Amino acid sequence: MNENVIEKKNTAPEVVSKPKKKKRSKSLDIQKSRMGWVFIAPFLIGFLLIYLPMIVESIRFSFSEIDIQPGGGYVLVDKGWENYSYALFEDPSFVTTLMGSLTDLAFNVPAIVIFSLFMAVLLNQKMRGRAIFRAIFFIPVIVSTGIIESIDIQNQLAQNMESTTGAEGTGGLENSGSSGAQIISAMDVRVLFSGMKIGAGLVNYVTELINGVYNIINKSGVQMLIFLAGLQSISPAIYESCYIDGASSWETFWKITFPMISPMILVNAVYTVIDSFTSQSNQIMNYISNIYTGQNGTVLATAMSWMYFLVVVLVLALVAGVLSAYVFYQRKDV
Amino acid sequence: MDTSAMTKKELKEYQKQLKREEAIRKIKSQEKTPFMMRLRYKYLTMYFLKKVAWAIFRFVLLVGISYVILFPYISKIASSFMSRDDFTNVMVKLIAMNPTLDTYEAIITDNRYFEALFNTTLLSVLCAVSQTLICSIVGYGFAKFKFKCKNLLFLCVIFTMIVPHETIQLSMFMKFRYFDIWGIYGGATNFFENIKFMLSEEAGGLANGYKLLEQGFIDAEIDYNFMDVLFSNPQGKIHAISNMLNSYWPFAVLSLTGLAFKNGLFIYIMRQYFNGVPDELEEAAYVDGAGVIKTFVRIIIPMAVPMMVTIFMFSFSWQWSDTFYTGLFFTSTKSAILLPNIVKIPVSLDTNYVAQSTYEAAIRNTCGILILLPLVIIYMFAQRTLIEGVERSGITG
Repeated sequence: MNENVIEKKNTAPEVVSKPKKKKRSKSLDIQKSRMGWVFIAPFLIGFLLIYLPMIVESIRFSFSEIDIQPGGGYVLVDKGWENYSYALFEDPSFVTTLMGSLTDLAFNVPAIVIFSLFMAVLLNQKMRGRAIFRAIFFIPVIVSTGIIESIDIQNQLAQNMESTTGAEGTGGLENSGSSGAQIISAMDVRVLFSGMKIGAGLVNYVTELINGVYNIINKSGVQMLIFLAGLQSISPAIYESCYIDGASSWETFWKITFPMISPMILVNAVYTVIDSFTSQSNQIMNYISNIYTGQNGTVLATAMSWMYFLVVVLVLALVAGVLSAYVFYQRKDV
Repeated sequence: MDTSAMTKKELKEYQKQLKREEAIRKIKSQEKTPFMMRLRYKYLTMYFLKKVAWAIFRFVLLVGISYVILFPYISKIASSFMSRDDFTNVMVKLIAMNPTLDTYEAIITDNRYFEALFNTTLLSVLCAVSQTLICSIVGYGFAKFKFKCKNLLFLCVIFTMIVPHETIQLSMFMKFRYFDIWGIYGGATNFFENIKFMLSEEAGGLANGYKLLEQGFIDAEIDYNFMDVLFSNPQGKIHAISNMLNSYWPFAVLSLTGLAFKNGLFIYIMRQYFNGVPDELEEAAYVDGAGVIKTFVRIIIPMAVPMMVTIFMFSFSWQWSDTFYTGLFFTSTKSAILLPNIVKIPVSLDTNYVAQSTYEAAIRNTCGILILLPLVIIYMFAQRTLIEGVERSGITG
């Protein structure tokens, strides 16, 4: 009856006895994080070996005074808080320059961000010659750097020196304080307005306004690019559905475009603050550079710039903190 | 027509012609809006007029702003072709009456332009290439790997970007003048020199030598212990590994460690970009048996080429027109002259006359033009890739 019973072969699986090797391989995660350290290594080495000692030494310098020895060495004499108190309380114009550059910042940063947003929206539309306009608007980033400005400063200095010997009547006209580039000088505007009997106050105000606009235009290259990148990441399907639903372009801008690039606004605001603080045409940077080359100026300049740095960090934290409360993130996990 | 005298063929053609004329008459008699009315309804509407007004406004605005951006350069270029007499001539505003290339010739021959050009090109290309590579590698490390203190280290990257130049100007100068890692070399040299001194004959024995070294501390009334004495430096001479100034070494060191000008920004950009690259790509490579480095070299880098071109352009142009670092590290122009150093009045031009400051201003502007001209040429070639690269960067998150 049970011929079809399959006979179970009583075969146990053969145990192959190999000499057991203990493998010490770590998990993939740990391996990958080790490789992460390898990739970071150049920056880590530089930071630990070069940058951190520089910062520590710089702080040490700012609390002391340097005597350069004739044999080629130097000796540090500890002076405590004297450098800082000199800069804050006795130096003629450190605090006023600092306040001046802060007010400049307060005016420039919103203006630059708004202007570059507007320009990015304009340049995002399809029109003829769009590529040319984009190229032109990006020129100031590449070209207008320290060299042009230092040449301008030399030219202005030479011109002022000559004019005080009597040739032109520019004596008495201030150069609007900052060393930023100027597109028109008060001289030209005064000549323009001289027939209309407009007072000197208005002339100076208009000149400053125009030069301010010129500064803003020249500083918004990179921000415009970032905004352009952000605008192009918004899918056109949203715009189409808005158009179908009958929204006007003004409403579309405020309800769709503006919230979706608000992360970019944060990035740009932070970048503008950092850029204008460390740019080379800043009033206070110039002031500190002049101090650096003055008498016993090196440590004083270091102390001043540390205070300046604290101010920078405060302003940055303020701006970033306030803005990131208002930023709308599309993804819920951010 | 007399149809009787026609053959069958001619009759058929005649009927066809009649049918054709009938059809044409029918079409012509249909209602069609005349041409002018069509035009009016298409082009005289509010919608079209608004589009046209917006296009004109936009165009005028863009042209105006382009003028504001380009005008200073136009005036500088125009004044660089003017000859000496043109500056005293009141009628000359932008177009020179006697155009000449004298200024260019004088600057090129007197101020060693080609030598400076070669040096600056070499320096900028080396710096830009190494910065691009290092920032990509570090950015990739921050993007795709999880390890301890990653956020803290990234904050350090941002920190290097925020600190203003003047803060570390002095200590950077000192660091590269007496280059030493954590003071180890200096301390060790001091120690061995002191031991040598104590063991030598003029000290008169070990204990006597120690007392001699101690004397300096006692005289100056400073607190000390025996370690201070052993590591002390009686002549105030600083021992360092080398003096790295007046050479390209500071730039090499700074670029190869990702600490040069605005490298923090580059690392941030590359990190954002690599965050946007999907993980599945790498995992596919790992499954196929590639190691981490091979994946990076073969797959990730070719994908990131537009971004790397962008970063290359940025760092190249910033290094080219940089006056801060070159002024800091090159204290004399004997060893190598770089482009920012050629902004001086050439000797062969005589500028001592009435319009001296204007002429000198124009000469300096011409120097500036000569400095920036190669950069603008390269920018013209690369600008398409540059703008597209940032658009694709994933800075948008």
